[in-house]
Amino acid sequence: MTKKFTWIAWGGLALALATPVIAQVPEAAPAKPAQPRQGGGIARETTIIPIASGAWTGARTPDGQPDVAGFWSNTIGNHQNFTDPQGGKAHPDRPHAPSRVSDPADGELPYLPAARLLQQDFAKHATDPIKPGYVEPLARCAPAGVPKTFTWHGFEIRQYQGVVFFWFNSGWRIVHLDGSAHLDPSIKLWQGDSRGHWEGNTLVVDTTNVNGKALFDRAGNYFSENASAVERFIFQPDGKRFNYVVTVTDPTVYSRPWTATIPVRRYTPADKPDGWHFEVKLANHPGAAPAVEWIERSCVENNGGFGGGAVGVPSSAAVISR
Amino acid sequence: MAALVAMLAAGAAASGAAKTAAVHKAAQTATTGIPRTKDGHPDFSGIWETLSEADYDLEPHAGRRDAPPSPGVVEGGHIPYLPEALAKRQANFEHRATDDPRLRCYALSVPRGVYYHAPFQILQRPSSITLVHQFGNQVRDIHTDGSLHPVDADPELWLGDSRGHWEGDTLVVDATGFNDDTWLDRAGNYHSNQLHVVERWTFRDANTIAYSATLDDPKVYSKPWTIAIQLNRREANFKLIEDYCFTLEYADHYPHKDGQQ
Repeated sequence: MTKKFTWIAWGGLALALATPVIAQVPEAAPAKPAQPRQGGGIARETTIIPIASGAWTGARTPDGQPDVAGFWSNTIGNHQNFTDPQGGKAHPDRPHAPSRVSDPADGELPYLPAARLLQQDFAKHATDPIKPGYVEPLARCAPAGVPKTFTWHGFEIRQYQGVVFFWFNSGWRIVHLDGSAHLDPSIKLWQGDSRGHWEGNTLVVDTTNVNGKALFDRAGNYFSENASAVERFIFQPDGKRFNYVVTVTDPTVYSRPWTATIPVRRYTPADKPDGWHFEVKLANHPGAAPAVEWIERSCVENNGGFGGGAVGVPSSAAVISR
Repeated sequence: MAALVAMLAAGAAASGAAKTAAVHKAAQTATTGIPRTKDGHPDFSGIWETLSEADYDLEPHAGRRDAPPSPGVVEGGHIPYLPEALAKRQANFEHRATDDPRLRCYALSVPRGVYYHAPFQILQRPSSITLVHQFGNQVRDIHTDGSLHPVDADPELWLGDSRGHWEGDTLVVDATGFNDDTWLDRAGNYHSNQLHVVERWTFRDANTIAYSATLDDPKVYSKPWTIAIQLNRREANFKLIEDYCFTLEYADHYPHKDGQQ
């Protein structure tokens, strides 16, 4: 995207400071009553369609993976609150989606008491970030990490020999299918280190080396750098949907492992680009079937000068000396 | 003999260009034993990095505090700046310790991302060749499906718009649509938003690529000019490690621990 335009979804404070350049951000106007959102808004499906693990009967890539390449996006949307994704003010005419947490059954994250206090403290200050640590890192262009990359903007999946490549609005992940070992545990990363394999219709990814800095939402939900995740991408036989089922283990923060389920649907050139789930443009290819292309996203580069020095806004000072 | 005389008469720049052309031609005819895709094209999949000093300064230079010496990678030696552009390059050079956009971990653009000292992984399929750079947040698609630059090309892209095609075993890439916010190296060499790059990628052997880029920019240069570098395949089993270095500015504020009293 252009340097004059920002794709980052800003937090409350940034919004208060903001100018119309962020007007396409879905939750840009917390004071306004929520509207059913179209186009650049967030999808509002309210149910999760179960998808069973099993055999894959569809097309395969040259190296034998189930062919799931394409553009995808979550269907429930909203990244304000992981456990109450369509919460906020009551909308009697519209049912809400359930918590993304599918285990425990009550939909709550099983925090240890001290960790719960941390989460609540962040939630209290999310729209009043009196310290830099109260700004969601994503609002400063950090990658969204596990699991938030799957509840934020749409993303693309590509497959290559021994590799599944995820291209997100805010970074990328290369999932290696080669059976190689994880990085040394001392290396901590926003997106973690991923090794995967296919089980029938399910891509199973073991993710470690997380830095514990990314949040799940703007309500302060988090895991620590001691967390590990088993991510299961369970694809529907017709290839139109998958469920992202992630089980997180983190004895520092949680009393037990928990699982979240995030429904995802495929977008095709028949869908209208909407700037959020499906951020693409039609290729200029006279005579060829309509095909869409990824639109360049840049974040830190564009926001560098935006309100310089305000909380949540990267400055334009040097950050490396190498 | 006539050809030789003509070449001698054409001067250093032309001779350099001839040399690069010869490299790509030679590589085209001596490309047995290189990896190939199912459709017969060279397969650049893998992780690549230059050993050259290009990112320090594309032009010839002696060693200095912040750069090792290098004979330079510009054919003909120097970049043909317009007079006023040369003055700007000189100002950039003087402020290089603070003004190089790389210091903010911004996207390095084209061709700098290719010769910056960080590995990048090529993901190749018939319709596109994609460069995933370890440094920052940079993924560049080179479309090889016959599609054209967008008609309504956004002129302010950080990584430009890249369309490639095969000429024998050489991948030829046409890249346009850049903004003017990136530099070409640590020495302040630069371009405007009129930059047009033509890259040529050719295997020398299975583990080395001859890479050249011709840069044209009527607002900054008096004529197109060309750089040539070599890319080396990284060791077997090497893997990229994310390097979103722009987060270093604020990473220490996280994880949030203030509520823990």
